[in-house]
Amino acid sequence: MALDSSPTPPPAGVLPMISMRGVGKSFGAHRVLQGIDLDVHAGEVVSLIGPSGSGKTTLLRCMNFLEAYDEGEVWIRGALLGYRRTPSGALAPETDRGIAEVRAPVAMVFQQFNLWPHMTVLANVTAPLTLAKGMRPDRARAVAAEALARVGMAAKADAMPGELSGGQQQRVGIARALAIHPEVMLLDEPTSALDPELVDEVLEVIKSLSRDGMTMVMVTHEMSFAAEVSDRVVFMEQGRIVAADTPGRIIRHPEHPRLQAFLRPWFRRSLQGGAQAGAQA
Amino acid sequence: MIDFTLLAELLPVFGQAALRTAALVAAGMAGGLLLGFAMNAMRETGLRPLAALYWAYTTLWRGVPFLVHLFIVYFGLPSVGLRFDPFQAAALTLAVYSGAYFAEIFRACWQRIPRGQVEAARCMGLTRRQVFTHIACPQALRASLPLIANQAILVMKESALASVITYPELTMTAGKVVAEQFVYVEPYLLLALSYWALAVLINRLGGWLRRRAAL
Repeated sequence: MALDSSPTPPPAGVLPMISMRGVGKSFGAHRVLQGIDLDVHAGEVVSLIGPSGSGKTTLLRCMNFLEAYDEGEVWIRGALLGYRRTPSGALAPETDRGIAEVRAPVAMVFQQFNLWPHMTVLANVTAPLTLAKGMRPDRARAVAAEALARVGMAAKADAMPGELSGGQQQRVGIARALAIHPEVMLLDEPTSALDPELVDEVLEVIKSLSRDGMTMVMVTHEMSFAAEVSDRVVFMEQGRIVAADTPGRIIRHPEHPRLQAFLRPWFRRSLQGGAQAGAQA
Repeated sequence: MIDFTLLAELLPVFGQAALRTAALVAAGMAGGLLLGFAMNAMRETGLRPLAALYWAYTTLWRGVPFLVHLFIVYFGLPSVGLRFDPFQAAALTLAVYSGAYFAEIFRACWQRIPRGQVEAARCMGLTRRQVFTHIACPQALRASLPLIANQAILVMKESALASVITYPELTMTAGKVVAEQFVYVEPYLLLALSYWALAVLINRLGGWLRRRAAL
């Protein structure tokens, strides 16, 4: 644990939504993340790309402390996440309640949807509102109905998750995240578990969120999509950020040789396919 | 040959004894389910001493024969001032004994709940307790129903040992008829049929519960 160094709060003025400073994470002897510096600003869409095992998902999970980082600091809206300052100035693990408070503005969408299968679609969306936010049930139902309508799932409010297609389940997952009115959404490979023909309906929803100015950080393998919706693309390899820039410089016209190597199969496919928006834009 | 007149005469006696067996099983099940659930609630806290207690309980009670437990409770505990009548002793022993099995059934069902579901709940701000009551419990209990029904049949069969400490349930009743009237076929036939009927009943009840709780 290299947490004894005094943490430097991000600069005053406009606070980044999420700010990572020197973040590192090890699983045993294996360093999955090291020296991560990354700011996500309000309204920004940031995509994390890179080969599997490069640490993208771990990085995303550190942003809401589903994974406890063990070096550096993560700040959400200027509040330190996961640790707190003791009177002596050192950092100590934060309580569950403290963590929940700091990450309250962060919502997450999972690769495997992670809906609760014993609850109806509507109950999946209302449960966090009534249980975590203490919202009255009728008010929660109204908020949930609105969120479900937003992703085109209002008609399935009374269905059980098991009765839905993967794409529909993921849209419910997005509605559940939207309903808490988050300031930032983390999406962990939101379409990777879907059959190819169901990918688009989910990407459409995400696209419309970005049009509405939702701040998003997304791990994805959909390069065309990342190029289309992102303000910034972060390329990772072996637990480090190798390059972070506009989609034009990262995906469409990559200069970094490792990035070129990583994107080559996708370029080849999109040339064959022809209609890949990102490759031609 | 089977003496049907005798069978008819014995029927009400066995009916009454079956009710006593049922009462014993019901009491043992109720206690065992509560205990097994409580043990898991304890284990779920993640506190080390409680987890150790869980381990000690489930291994000790599953590792020692039921009859031995029964002897300790009925013949051993009076020496420290705890006296039970045969029903109390048998029900208590059944409860604590089956509780160890129910605890393990619940634990298996709890651990089958995908981690992602818990993560989703936690990062949406649900507390540990809320995850337990709203996410884990409903699913774990539902998944445990078929296993509980199966275990209930085993509990019912263990209850036959209550005859050893003179609780007049089915097995003791059959033994009494044999000893008093020197007939074997009819009472043992009735005894086997009674247990079989109870097992079918438990199965039916389990199936009904399972259908009611199905998603």
